[in-house]
Amino acid sequence: MKKFISLLLFSLLILSLVFSSGAKEESTEVKALGSEPVTITFWHSASDEAGVLMDEFVRTFNETNPYQITVKAIYQGQYSDATTLMKTVVSAENYKDLPDVMQLDATGKIDYYNSGKAFTVDDAISSYGEDISSLYVPLALANWEFQGVKLGLPFATSTTITFYNKSMLEKCGWDKCPDTFSDIVELKKDMEKNGIEAEAYGTVPNTPTLANWLGQMGSYLVNNKNGSESMADKLECIDNGALLAFLKEWKTMYEEKGVANRSLSTSQFVNEEVAIFTSSSSNVASVLEKVDGKFEVGTSTFLRVNDSASYGATVSGSCLVMFDSGSDLRKKASWEFLKYLTGDEVQSTFAISTGYIPSSVGAIESDGYQALLKAKPQYATAPEQLMVTPKEMKSVTVGPSADFYYGIMNGVGDMLNNDVSPEKAAASMASSLQALLDQYARNNI
Amino acid sequence: MTHRRKEQIEEIVVSLVAIALGLVIIFPLIYCFLSSFKTPSEFLDPKLLPSSFLNLDNYKAALERGNLLRYILNSFVIAFLGSAIRLIFSILAAYVFAFYDFKGKNVVFFMILGTMMIPSDVLLATNYLTVSRLHLLNTYMGVMVVSFVSASATFMLRQRFKTIPRDMREAASMDGYGDIWFILRVLLPITRPVVTTLFVQSFISLWNSYLWPLIATASSPEMRTVMVGITRLNSWEDENYQLVMAGVVISLIPSIILFLIMRRSLRKGGLEGSLVG
Amino acid sequence: MGNVSLRRRKERRRIFLLLLPIVLFSLLFVYYPFLRTVVNAFSRVNSKGEIRGFAGLENFRYTYSRPDFLPALIHTLTIAAINVPLTLFITLSLALLTEKSRRLSPLFESLFSLPMAVSMSAACMIFKSMFSPSVGFINYFFSIKCGWYESSETALISCVILTIWMGIGFDYLLLLSALRGIPKSVREATMVDGISLWRRIFLVEIPLISPTIFYVFCTNLVLALMTSAPMIIIMGVSSASGATNTLMSMMYQSGFSSSDYGLSAVMSLTAFVLTLSFTILSFVVEKRRVHYDA
Repeated sequence: MKKFISLLLFSLLILSLVFSSGAKEESTEVKALGSEPVTITFWHSASDEAGVLMDEFVRTFNETNPYQITVKAIYQGQYSDATTLMKTVVSAENYKDLPDVMQLDATGKIDYYNSGKAFTVDDAISSYGEDISSLYVPLALANWEFQGVKLGLPFATSTTITFYNKSMLEKCGWDKCPDTFSDIVELKKDMEKNGIEAEAYGTVPNTPTLANWLGQMGSYLVNNKNGSESMADKLECIDNGALLAFLKEWKTMYEEKGVANRSLSTSQFVNEEVAIFTSSSSNVASVLEKVDGKFEVGTSTFLRVNDSASYGATVSGSCLVMFDSGSDLRKKASWEFLKYLTGDEVQSTFAISTGYIPSSVGAIESDGYQALLKAKPQYATAPEQLMVTPKEMKSVTVGPSADFYYGIMNGVGDMLNNDVSPEKAAASMASSLQALLDQYARNNI
Repeated sequence: MTHRRKEQIEEIVVSLVAIALGLVIIFPLIYCFLSSFKTPSEFLDPKLLPSSFLNLDNYKAALERGNLLRYILNSFVIAFLGSAIRLIFSILAAYVFAFYDFKGKNVVFFMILGTMMIPSDVLLATNYLTVSRLHLLNTYMGVMVVSFVSASATFMLRQRFKTIPRDMREAASMDGYGDIWFILRVLLPITRPVVTTLFVQSFISLWNSYLWPLIATASSPEMRTVMVGITRLNSWEDENYQLVMAGVVISLIPSIILFLIMRRSLRKGGLEGSLVG
Repeated sequence: MGNVSLRRRKERRRIFLLLLPIVLFSLLFVYYPFLRTVVNAFSRVNSKGEIRGFAGLENFRYTYSRPDFLPALIHTLTIAAINVPLTLFITLSLALLTEKSRRLSPLFESLFSLPMAVSMSAACMIFKSMFSPSVGFINYFFSIKCGWYESSETALISCVILTIWMGIGFDYLLLLSALRGIPKSVREATMVDGISLWRRIFLVEIPLISPTIFYVFCTNLVLALMTSAPMIIIMGVSSASGATNTLMSMMYQSGFSSSDYGLSAVMSLTAFVLTLSFTILSFVVEKRRVHYDA
């Protein structure tokens, strides 16, 4: 019996020895890039079609770069999984497991900034004396700034646009896409007149869409420019009345049957159950594929709250950031890789195959991309919108990001479901969202 | 004669009812299987059948994009060894709970039961640190080690073992046979159906685990499990279900094979089992 | 005399060694990390997970006074109240129906137990698409316009359908093997007595398999109280998410995803205490009801 137990423990020990891997030592000598082979790790979340492209890009880089750099690309699950992983590694202070380069979405920004091992784009610019910021689409680059620091370079850039069923709208006598909330109400009336049962539009506002609509009215959702300059701790759409104004417009649109209080997106659009929907511009390719010629698809700029609102929507997508491995050679290699993935060639290929907007100016101007815009005008809306979106519009960075998202959704949803007045809804959203910011501040000061 | 006729009718009626219920129960799987042959635009059509079963694009894409074949081996090793160790631990513990009395028995039992009442998410960060200190990151052992304790298996085995009269063990002990002999020669043969069922269930749950294997193998993609491959079929901002369905079908194959093997042994064991449980 | 105490000591050592592996690993990989969670519940923890100071009961006060806490608790208890009896009823009925070995037994036993081969996340994706209000097969087949996961009236019950489905296979197999394990002698005795089918089921068979029934009851109770996957995977992006928030999904979304580790610690501690008390209560009742001897 005792023998059995000791056998068991012994076999466990043997197993663990067999499977354990020794930690490799890293040399920290300063060497010129290209003088010796260097391997860097790259964590990404590119899945599906984008995953295939990403593998291709990495392979090409490994084969063609003149500096003997080998990139080891590892898929780390969805953005949220990859961010959880990064946070776990950082909180265990197991820094040697951090990658050299990582793909991040907006929710990972704060965690990266706070990791203590960030090697930001600003750091790289000052170390290597190469200012490349003018090569990128300004809004795309600015989206990855936090507290005045350029954290990363934009890789996958998209923005929210409006998709519409051109054929259905034409039946109701509309030759263009509704532009404002009141247009939607008009459209719905015309649809009813023509016996079309479909909804006109259906969505429940969340953090990014609300921030866009508030931004069109010149307001931020939270202070410090939506948390982009420093950590947000106050709501900024209450005292200026922007939230209330938005809620009033939203409720009117709902009461006039312009918008359904649930999310109607690609699948309902493809089945002609909704006339228009708003979604990421990166879905253009897949929407066209799914509609498969059943009707004509049009795209237009993101809906506006009213006639006095400005056009535009913020940038979304993902960026590439670097970590400080302590090895100069690896940092230099990471920087070369970063420039490659955000460079003209990769960006135009990526944009053409997926529907994302090229992040670099050169790629936008490239012949291949321009030819695509001519052949498929639906792709052109997003880059055009980026040009007209005011620079002051910023995407939201808050600590309690998930709670904020649901707080906004539930606040607006409740107003419609329970017929709460916009004033009351604004007040209750103000207090619940402010409480989240307060709690975050309490824990982090 | 009429009695036999009645039995025959009963047999037919029960079988029909059971098959009808069975089809309802596995309907989601049928749905998943049929959907995996659809094209993206067909998927948005609520009809059940794809236009053609020859559309294997989704399977091709799933195998290429998800790297599934490479990960299936990892998942298999982890799930198989992990379940084996899990069951050994559970059998030893359940045996003690069923056949011995000692001070603090309830405390230890509830302590083990309590492990299933703690969400694994809150354990991630500390376990990562522990596993990293043990130099087990990026190894099969590191992936398995956090799931060696199974409260539900221990609990079920305790329930089963308790129905076996204690006299049997005392008699064995009088004859000079030890605990391990008793477990191997008496307990396991009697309880084989339950042990196999638990093994399969444990295999499936380890096979299906996602977040911990992802974290524990952060720097070696070659150690990844099949579920990580499946997430790679989901696209960023849009849903590509037909592809995911093909991935699910592929990932189900090993579980189903194991399951069918287990069913045979379950049947045999079920006939031998002479005690109540 | 000395002999007895020597035997006792030997026995104690045996018990210790037999329990050692499972106790060791549960201490190292469950309770040691859980201790950190308990500490977090009473501390101010920043978004990196570092402890910034002692917070007393502040995290508890904040968590319990949040407007979404009570609904989450009610949803959790509702799920348990529906899930546990229904799963037990369904799996027991299926097991009794197929108890006797028939020619087609292998077929329907496989059909009933196959759901256990599916992972939670895969099941979520299958159900989400099957129950999609506009393009799902269910609404199409029955020609109804139900919102399922998208509407706040039906979202909770839709989640329960999924969790029950996930549990059917395993519990059915356990109950079936318990029923098949009833000794022939007992079965034959009831046949001879000529008692009715219902009396046989309720007075003989169910009491005889009560240990397994108790197991199914307890594990389903724990699993139901700990449900979170459908809420996160299916409901995560749905506008009806508020209608299905459970203790565990709140722990995940308001805790982890919102970088509030104090709240996530309080939530997991609350769920732990709640689940453990329900389980202990079940064991107290079990002492009186469950029969282990044939």
